[in-house]
Amino acid sequence: MKKQKIWSVLLLLMIAVMAVLPWGMTGNAAEVSADSKSDVFRVGMEAGYAPFNWTQMDNSNGGVPISGTNEYAGGYDVEVAKIIATGLGKELEIVKTEWDGLVPALTSGKIDAIIAGMSPTEERKETIDFTDIYYTSQLVIVVNADGPYADAGCLADFSGAQLTAQLNTFHYTVIDQIDGVVKETAMDNFPAMRVALESGMIDGYVTERPEAVSAVSANSKYKMIELSDGFVTNEEDTAIAVGVQKGSGLQEEINTILAGISEDARAKIMDEAIQNQPAEAEEGTANWLVRIVTENWPMFLSGAGATLYISIIGTLIGTVIGLLVGVIRTIPVPQRGARRGLLKVISGILNVYIEVFRGTPMIVQAMVIYYGSALAFNINMNRIAAAIFIVSINTGAYMSEIVRGGIVSIDKGQFEAAHAIGMDHIKTMRHVVLPQVIRNILPATGNEFVINIKDTSVLNVISVTELYFQTKSIAGINFHYFESFFVACVLYFVMTFTVTRILRLLERRLDGPDNYNMAGNQMQVVRPEDLQRSTN
Amino acid sequence: MENVIEVQHLSKSFGTHEVLKDIDFTVRKGEVVCIIGSSGSGKSTLLRCINLLERPSGGQIIYHNENILDDKHDINLYRTKLGMVFQQFNLFDNHDVLSNCMVGQVKVLKRSREEAGKVAMNYLKVVGMDQFIHAKPRQLSGGQKQRVAIARALSMDPDVMLFDEPTSALDPEMVGEVLAVMKQLAKTGLTMLVVTHEMGFAKEVADRVVFMDKGIIEEEGTPTEIFDHPQKERTKEFLKRV
Repeated sequence: MKKQKIWSVLLLLMIAVMAVLPWGMTGNAAEVSADSKSDVFRVGMEAGYAPFNWTQMDNSNGGVPISGTNEYAGGYDVEVAKIIATGLGKELEIVKTEWDGLVPALTSGKIDAIIAGMSPTEERKETIDFTDIYYTSQLVIVVNADGPYADAGCLADFSGAQLTAQLNTFHYTVIDQIDGVVKETAMDNFPAMRVALESGMIDGYVTERPEAVSAVSANSKYKMIELSDGFVTNEEDTAIAVGVQKGSGLQEEINTILAGISEDARAKIMDEAIQNQPAEAEEGTANWLVRIVTENWPMFLSGAGATLYISIIGTLIGTVIGLLVGVIRTIPVPQRGARRGLLKVISGILNVYIEVFRGTPMIVQAMVIYYGSALAFNINMNRIAAAIFIVSINTGAYMSEIVRGGIVSIDKGQFEAAHAIGMDHIKTMRHVVLPQVIRNILPATGNEFVINIKDTSVLNVISVTELYFQTKSIAGINFHYFESFFVACVLYFVMTFTVTRILRLLERRLDGPDNYNMAGNQMQVVRPEDLQRSTN
Repeated sequence: MENVIEVQHLSKSFGTHEVLKDIDFTVRKGEVVCIIGSSGSGKSTLLRCINLLERPSGGQIIYHNENILDDKHDINLYRTKLGMVFQQFNLFDNHDVLSNCMVGQVKVLKRSREEAGKVAMNYLKVVGMDQFIHAKPRQLSGGQKQRVAIARALSMDPDVMLFDEPTSALDPEMVGEVLAVMKQLAKTGLTMLVVTHEMGFAKEVADRVVFMDKGIIEEEGTPTEIFDHPQKERTKEFLKRV
């Protein structure tokens, strides 16, 4: 009676959660299929590298909506993308992607082109094709205006300086050309580098002139150092072009369109971009905390919603997988015959599954499954579906061992008593063992749930708009990393804490009272509900 | 009196350790047979071989003229004909008292819930636990649990009831209440096979007493024969020490 009520309440809760949450994630569901003949021109960019591409909160100054979010993208690359889209006669869709995710997204067909301030280097040309150059710039170094390198003028002046640049770019490789430089670890995005510079973690970062101009005009604390004898670079390395798939017909079409944009037009677009980029304002931390929350609470909430949605469903499915695998692995081995062989084969496969998915990081699994399925099998997965799949499979591997431990720890007497009244393995599991196992593994399951809530953050690498991804976007707009991520921290904690409390409550309800109150039930009779409900 | 169970040349080894050596043994309908002997004599193993909780290494077990050790035999069907009461009670912890007695009937014997409920209540009354039908096992004392275990086994309406040292885990006060139930059952003509250390019970209730030692049946006979006039040396030694 009591237990049935609990399960129905839980089921209702789940349905309510599933019904409400997708409201916050409209974008993720709407994915365009990988059809190059469709009317949409999907462009991948970071949207975090002003003045080339940035994220803004509204569509002012010609901002274009970023697919899957409520934000907009602006900048030089966006303007060029708009021109190209018009020229191709297609609608422009901006897909915000991590720098390292751009090439995989292109080769697996999730985007049609990369317009992200990317240089057509020889290494990249091995995997993708590039159009003609659509902008040329030179390398400069951004430093603190009141720092020791503010008056530097040439490479030699930076001897002993702690410099860095973006990961996997030529900006980073050229740092070696400075004698005596202290090359810090590469960072993976520009907002992070600006914050590192301001906090004094680095003395400067290498970048392209437009980005430096943007940085300085956004924040007077920075200063751009133009180098009298600068880095030695190829023209290809300092120019940027549009990346397209190898053998795609787009290359020629886009070249034609690019040829139509004159040098003057390009300069004008760049000047406008530098002017229009989101600016930074100076205020105290506490004020910023409040401001970040009030300005961005829809994004935070939708991110948290996605996180909860993915972890709840992923944990549930993973638990079911774990239960199934646990039951299969504890089937008593038949003495001989074909069934024995079959069971051994199945057990072997399951063992491999468990070892592989427990033995590799979920972030790597995410990349392999999401991009690999597109490359190898031509499956274009919806991102949320992919996220839930990855979390489920990963959780299933851990839950299998947790369930196995739970089954092994059940007193043998329970099995024997069930067998003695004629129950086979399945019936024994269903009516006697598994219900007890489920109760016993609730603490461990709660653990997995909490871990999943936090680990969904790694899914940001496949552009799932969960809480971490949203927070990074927010920080990328306002450059206040500490405040933004502090809010995310609080949200994560609220989610995990609530979940653990609910699970504790569930444990207590399942156990029932410790003492049997005879006074409470004067007449012990068989009640109608004993005969109706399924044996608990 | 027909033979319900016939054990022929049964042997059981755990690795190199031979626990049962060539056992020949019969249980007739309506009989109460008590198996006594010291620890390690193989009494529990014999019982557990009969309902196949242990797989015999050799020999035959004949039930209704069929050797149930045959590959083709349905173990689960056979087991429903034998009720087992364990030393450690082994009540299903996730079911209450009533459900413990009903789950086997409904899920294995496919009885309707109403019928199962009636049968369960009947036997729970017999063992005196009908006031506790919604209690969970962990809320009960040892004696109460064992009585419920007896009711659970009886609810399956078996041909034979097997008792594996049913009172060994109980303290003296509770031993009495369980033995009382077993005596009552014996009076109703239930076929019972009891492994026990309770000599008083054996003397009073058994139709036949079997003394086992080191894997063989050393001596068997009526209670008077075994307790008052033991023939073999080992039997005499054992009874002296009990």
